[in-house]
Amino acid sequence: MPTLGKKVGSARYSAGGLLMRGLRKQDWPRVWNDHDIKKKYDVVIVGGGVHGLATAYYLAKNHGITNVAVLEKGYLGSGGSGRNTAIVRSNYLTPEGVRFYDRSLELYGNMSVDMNLNVMFSERGHLTLAHADSALRTMHWRAEVNKLQGVNSSVIGPDEIKKIAPSLDTSAEPRYPILGALYHPPGGIIRHDAVVWAYARGADALGAHLHQQTEVLDIICEGGEGPDGKGAGGKVTGVRTSRGDISAPIVVNCTAGWATLISDMAGVKLPITTHPLEAAVTEPVKVFLPTVIVSGSLHVYVSQTDRGELVFGASIAPFATYSQAGSLDFTEELAGHVLELMPGIAKMRLLRQWAGLCDMTPDYSPVMGFTPVEGFLTDVGWGTYGFKAGPVSGEQMAKCIADNKTPELIAAFDLARFGEDRLVGEKGAAAVGH
Amino acid sequence: MLIVPCPNCGPRNSADMRYGGESHSRPDPDSTPIEEWRNYLYMHDNPAGWLKETWYCGSGCRRYFTTERNTVTNQFREPAINYPEPGGSQ
Amino acid sequence: MTTSRLSSGGAEIDRSSKISFKWNGKTVNGFEGDTIVSALAGSGHQLVSRSMKYHRKRGLLTADYWDPNCFVQVGDEPNVRAGHRKATNGMDISAQNVWPSLERDMKSANGLVGRFLTPGFYYKTFVRPQFLWPTYQKVLRTFAPGGAVDHQSQPLYFDKRYTHPDVVVAGAGPAGLAAATAAAEAGASVLLVEHDHAVGGHLRWGSDADRDEAARLEAAALAAGVEIMTDATVTGRYDHNWVSINQRSLHASVERLVKARAKVLVVAAGLVERPYVFAGNDALGVMTAGAARRLINLWGVKPGTTAVAMVANEHGDAAVADLEAAGVSVTSVVDGRNGEFVSSTTASKGALSSVTLGDGSTVDADLLITAVGWTAPTSLLNMAGDRPAYDETAARFFPTKLPPEVIPVGGLVGDGSTAQIIEHAAGVGRVAGATGISARRQLQAATTRAAVVDGAEPAIPAMPEPLGRDPHPELYRSDTHGMVDYSEDVSSKDLVAASKEGYDSVELMKRFTTVTMGPSQGKLETVNAVAVLAEARGETIEEVGTTVWRPPYAPISLGALGGRIFEPERVSPIHPWHEANGVTTILAGQWIRPDHYGDAQAEVTNVRNNVGIIDVTPLGKLDLRGPDVPKLLNLLYTNKWSKLAIGSVRYGVMCAEDGVVLDDGVTAHLGEDHYLMTTTSSGAAAIWEWAENWLQTERPHWQVHVTPVTTAYASINIAGPKSRELLSRLTDVDLANEAFGYMRVRTGTIGGVDDCIMWRIGFTGELSYEIHVPSGYALHVWEHLMSEGADLGIGAFGLEAQRIMRLEKGHFIVGQDTDGLTKAPTAGIGGLIKLDKDDFVGKTELSTLDVASLPVLVALQPVDGSVVPEEAAQIVLPDSNDIIGRITSSRFSPTLNRSVCLGQVEPSHAAAGNIVTVLLFSGERIPATVMEHHAHFDPEGARLRG
Repeated sequence: MPTLGKKVGSARYSAGGLLMRGLRKQDWPRVWNDHDIKKKYDVVIVGGGVHGLATAYYLAKNHGITNVAVLEKGYLGSGGSGRNTAIVRSNYLTPEGVRFYDRSLELYGNMSVDMNLNVMFSERGHLTLAHADSALRTMHWRAEVNKLQGVNSSVIGPDEIKKIAPSLDTSAEPRYPILGALYHPPGGIIRHDAVVWAYARGADALGAHLHQQTEVLDIICEGGEGPDGKGAGGKVTGVRTSRGDISAPIVVNCTAGWATLISDMAGVKLPITTHPLEAAVTEPVKVFLPTVIVSGSLHVYVSQTDRGELVFGASIAPFATYSQAGSLDFTEELAGHVLELMPGIAKMRLLRQWAGLCDMTPDYSPVMGFTPVEGFLTDVGWGTYGFKAGPVSGEQMAKCIADNKTPELIAAFDLARFGEDRLVGEKGAAAVGH
Repeated sequence: MLIVPCPNCGPRNSADMRYGGESHSRPDPDSTPIEEWRNYLYMHDNPAGWLKETWYCGSGCRRYFTTERNTVTNQFREPAINYPEPGGSQ
Repeated sequence: MTTSRLSSGGAEIDRSSKISFKWNGKTVNGFEGDTIVSALAGSGHQLVSRSMKYHRKRGLLTADYWDPNCFVQVGDEPNVRAGHRKATNGMDISAQNVWPSLERDMKSANGLVGRFLTPGFYYKTFVRPQFLWPTYQKVLRTFAPGGAVDHQSQPLYFDKRYTHPDVVVAGAGPAGLAAATAAAEAGASVLLVEHDHAVGGHLRWGSDADRDEAARLEAAALAAGVEIMTDATVTGRYDHNWVSINQRSLHASVERLVKARAKVLVVAAGLVERPYVFAGNDALGVMTAGAARRLINLWGVKPGTTAVAMVANEHGDAAVADLEAAGVSVTSVVDGRNGEFVSSTTASKGALSSVTLGDGSTVDADLLITAVGWTAPTSLLNMAGDRPAYDETAARFFPTKLPPEVIPVGGLVGDGSTAQIIEHAAGVGRVAGATGISARRQLQAATTRAAVVDGAEPAIPAMPEPLGRDPHPELYRSDTHGMVDYSEDVSSKDLVAASKEGYDSVELMKRFTTVTMGPSQGKLETVNAVAVLAEARGETIEEVGTTVWRPPYAPISLGALGGRIFEPERVSPIHPWHEANGVTTILAGQWIRPDHYGDAQAEVTNVRNNVGIIDVTPLGKLDLRGPDVPKLLNLLYTNKWSKLAIGSVRYGVMCAEDGVVLDDGVTAHLGEDHYLMTTTSSGAAAIWEWAENWLQTERPHWQVHVTPVTTAYASINIAGPKSRELLSRLTDVDLANEAFGYMRVRTGTIGGVDDCIMWRIGFTGELSYEIHVPSGYALHVWEHLMSEGADLGIGAFGLEAQRIMRLEKGHFIVGQDTDGLTKAPTAGIGGLIKLDKDDFVGKTELSTLDVASLPVLVALQPVDGSVVPEEAAQIVLPDSNDIIGRITSSRFSPTLNRSVCLGQVEPSHAAAGNIVTVLLFSGERIPATVMEHHAHFDPEGARLRG
C-alpha cells in the first residue's frame, strides 16, 4: 500500500522543512500537479470538492485504484467545500447517523497526521441551545442516543453554559431564554480549504489526476430505456467534458448544487431540490468565543475563527434557486438573532456574506451508492451537512466502488429507499442544523 | 427580497409570500401505481432555468397562484395565474 | 515628527473649535472636522497601528475609509476606521492588537522569522506531535488581530427605514451629483447616498475652484429635490434592486439600515487609488497621492518635509503641486508615464528615510507619495451580476454586462474632464429618472388596488455617448517585492510562492494566502494581487481574471442589521387574571401560557375531585362553512365525517401525504353547512394554510369557506365531576346527560354572553365542557366561573396539570409522542384510519404500510411506581446498549400515586404485559411494563361520559 509522504519525500511538511526551505530560500513543490486528460480512466469522479477528492484518495490508498480522474468545473473546493462554516460534530439523533458521523469525526481528528497537512482541527466543543421545552426534550433524546453509541454528549443548564461561553445571555431577559444546551465536547471546527487541499495533495501523490476548469457536459450511456441509451437498465461508458470525451466504466456524481443536473445527464432522477445556504463573517476581534454555538429555534450558528472573525450561518433560503447572490434578509435575521444570544456584539461589523448551494432531500439524508444505471454512482443530496461527512463518504464510496457492493455504513442512504418508503430518521436532528 | 407578482395584489415582497415549490397536481390515489405515486411525493423538477411554481400570498389575498421563475436569475415571467376560485366550476 | 499642522488651510476643519481626545492614554488636540487620523497626523503621530502578522509599524496609507493601517479601538467599539471617523471631544482611542504598547510591541519579533512564516505556514507545521496542536492553537488565537468587544456594554438603539425612491444614486462625487440632479429634474424621486462625510467626491480635496464646483452641484441637487444622505453607504444590491444603505452619524440611532426598492440604481462609486508594490512600501511616510491631498486640502496637515513623488497621472501632478504649496520640499518626481519607478525604500525605526529609484539612485525623504492608477470598486456591479473585464490600455477593470436597472457612471465607466463626466452623468441621470418613473408606474399599474398611477408615462431619452478611456501605464509591482495586502500582511513574494506551489488561480491564491480577505475586502489589494499572479503565471491580467466581490460594499454593524427586535408575544384575554393569581407561565411558540399556579399535582387532584378550569385559548380554531365541508373533513382527516350530525363533535387525526401524523383535534358540526375545527395550538397557522392549499389547488370546485377564528374566541375547559353543576349556574342550555351527551356540541349564552360554543370532550378524562367565548367577554366569563364555582371547590389549572391528566388518560401529543416519521397507525389510533374511504391525505402510503415493522406508541408503567423515567430516556435491551424505543412522555400521577409513561417501542417488544428496560439519565436501568391500554386511568371512560 502506498504511503503518503514517502513518495513525495522532500515535500513532507514539517516545521523542520519550513526552516530548511526558509534558510535555503527554496520553494515548496507543487501541492498537486497538472496532467493532460487521458482518453480513458477506470473511474471518473465528477466534482472536485471534499467528497470527490476524498473518494479519489481512498480509492488509491485503501484499494490501490489509481487510474482515476476528478473533474472540477471551477477550481478545487470552489463549491460547498469552500463555502461551508466548517463545523464538524457527531451528535446526531439516530444510531445510524451517529455511527456514520462519528467515523467522519475520527477521520477528521487524525487527518493532520494521516495526510501530513495541518487542517487545523479545533476540537473546541459544540453547544446546541434549547429555547423551549420541546427543544430541550430533543436535546435529551440526542444526548441519550449519543451516550449509548459512546459519543460524548450531554445536556447542560444555563449556569454551565455561561461558564463555557460567558458572552451568551443566559438570563431570563431574552424573548426566548436559553433553557439548556446539548454539549458535545468533541465537536468543533476545521479549516475547510485545508481539508480540500489535503485530499487533493494526497490523491495526486497516489496517482489520481485532478482536472480543474473541466466541466462535464454529458454522461455517455448505452442500453438504457431512455433517449441516447440513458436511464434505467443501461450502463455508463464515459463522459463528455469541456476538454473532450473520456471513456470510463464508472462515473461518480460527487457534486453539490448541481447534483440533479449531472444525474439527469445519465437519465437518473433524484429526489432533490436545490436551495442556497448563506453564511457571513465579521471583522476580526480578540478571541472571546471558545466553542461553536448553534441555536435551532433562532436559526443561527456561530463560531470564532483563530483569526478572530465570527463566522455565521443560518437556515436555507425559503425557495429553490441556483443563484448564489445572497440576500439582505439573511443578514438582517441573522444579526437580530445573534444579538439575542450575545447582546454585547452590536458594534461588531459584518464584513462579507456568501452563499453555497445545498441539495435538499425529503429526509435530510444523502443519496449514496448505486443507481439504476450500471456504473453510475452518486454521493449527493448532502443538504447542509456535506462537509461534516466528507471523509467518511469518500472512504465508503471508494469501498463501494472497489467491492462493487454497498457498504453497510451507507446502506440506509440508497436511492431506492424513496420508491420503497424507507426514509431515514435524521430529519428531526438535521432540522436543528449545524 | 424578491418581488413576487401576485395576480391579485400585484408585485409584493417575497416576505409576504410562502413558497410552494414546483407546481404539480396530485395524481388520483386509486388509479396511480405506487411507483408513480412515490415520484409525485419525492421527485420534483429541479431545473436550472424556468420553473413553474406555486406561491401563497399569505399576507395579502391569501390565494395560491402559479408563476414562472428562472431559478438561475430569480426573474419572474408572466403569467401569474390564480388557481381556480374555490367553489368555482370544475 | 514629520507630519504637522499647517498654519492655514484645511477646507473641512474649523480652527476656531478645538477638540481633544485620548490616544493611548495621552491627550491629542485637533479641530472640529478632523478625522482621528488627520488629528493624529496634525499632532505629529505617524504610528497608528501594528501589522497583523509581523507587527510592523504602520501609519496612514490612504487617509480615508479604506486605509488598512488605521484601525483603532474607540471606547468599547473595535475596528473603528480612523481614516474616516470624525474625532470628537473626549474620545478614548487606543491602538489595537499591540502588546504591551504600540511603540514597543513584543510580537514584532515575528518579523525576524518572517522568511519562515510563508503563506499558509501553519498548514505545514504543528502536524506532529498531534497532542500539542491544541496548545499551539491557543497561542495562535492570541495573535488574532482586531479590537476587543466589551460584553458588558449597554444595549444600543438601532432602527431601520424603508424607502421607495425611483432612483438611488450610490456616490455623490461630481458624477453622482449630476446624475441625481438630472434624474430629479426629470421628475423622479431620488435618494443620493455618499459614503464620506460630505458630497463632492474628489473635488473636495482639489482646488478652490473644484470645491466651488462641488458646492454648485450640491446646491443644484438640493434645489431639484434630491434627498442627500452623507456618511452613509450603499452596502448591497440584491435581487430585484433591493438596495441596502447603512446610515451612520445619526443622533437617534447608532446606525440605521435603510432598505430601498430602487427602480433604478445609479452606481457612481468613483475610483479607489491603488498603492504601488515595492520593497518597503509600508514604511511610515509612504502614502497615496490622494492621502497627501486630503491631508493638505481637507485638514491642513503637512504630510512630510522632504518628499519623493511617483506619479503617473494628472492627479499625481496635482498632488505634487499641493505638496509644494504646503511647503513640502519635493526633491524628486518619478514619472511613471516615462517608465520611471520607485524600487525600494529604507526606513529608520519604521519611518521612511530614503527612497531608491529604478535607476539605482537613492534620495533622502520622509515622504513618498504614489499616484500609480486606480481600482474600479465594482462591488455593487458584481452584486448585479456583472463580471468586469480588464482594459490594459486604461489599466483598470470596466463593467461588461448589467441589467437595465443598474447603471454605472463616472470613473467606473470612463475618463474625461470634470465637465465631461458631469455632462455624461447628467445624460445618464435623465435616462435613469425616466426609467425609474416608468418602472414605478408599471408597479403601480400592476397593483390592482392602487388608487392612481402617478403622472404621465415619460419618454425615455437615449443614453449619452459613452465616456472615453484615457490611457494609463500599467503600474502594479516594481522590480522588488512588497506588501500587497497591508491588513493581512501578505506580500507579492508570498503570492508568487503560493502560485508556484499550485495555488495558482485567483480564488485558490486568495484562500491560501488570505490576500484580500481582510477588512478592506480587496478595495486596495485585489488588482495588485491579480497582477502579481498574472506575472507569476506569465499570463495577462485579463486571462487571470478577478475575484467576485461580495456584499456588503463596506462593513455594517450587526446592530444596524439586526435593528430592533420585534418578536411578538401572544397572550389570551384572560391573561391578566392569571398574572394576578400567581401564575407560572410557559413559552409555547409565540404564546405565553399558564403552566401552573403553584402546585400542579394539587390542581390535578382538584379536577379529579371537584372542578377546575384551564385557559386553552391558543387552541387553533377554524370556522368552516359551505355544503362541501364534510368532503374537506374526509380529505384532511383519516376518519369518516359524512355522518356527523348537527350537534355532534368528533376527534380526528390528520396526516401528510407520506402518512406521517401532522395534527389532531376536534371538529364540531354546529349547524347547516357550518363547522368549527380545532387544531393543536402550534399547528393553528399551518393547518389553516393546509386547508386552503387543498381547497384552492386540488379541490377548487368544493364550496367551503375557511375563516381562522383562533383569537376571535377564547377557549376554556371546565373539567371535573362538578363541572356540570358549575356550568349550569351560568347557562340556560340543558346540560343533562340525555340532552347534552358526551361528544356533543351546543351553542348558547354563558354568563350573559351570547354566541358561546360549548362541547363535551375528555382530554383530561373527566366530565368536561370546552367552551369557546367571544374573546372580548372571556375575562368576564372566566371570573364568573371562578366566583360561581367557589362553593364547588373550583381551581384554575395550567398546562402542567393538563399534561399529567392527559397522560393518565394516555392521550398523545403530536410532536412529542409522535415525531417526524411517526405513521398514523403506529400512534395507537388504528381505529381512526379508514382505508375504505374513497380518499384522504396520506391514504396511499398508509395502505401500503407494513405496520408490523414500525415502532409502536404504548403506555408504560415502571415496575417501581415511585420512579419517573425522564422524557427521552431510552428503552434498551436488558443486557446491551441496543435501542428498542424511548419514553416520549412521563409524569408522576397523583391520581394513581405512581409514575405513568407513553413511549415508542419496537413492535417485537410492544406486547401488553412485556417488561422492557428503561435506561435512566443516571445510567440506572429500571424495568417497566407495557400496558394493555394507552389509558392508565379509567380506560373505559366512565367518568367522562357520566
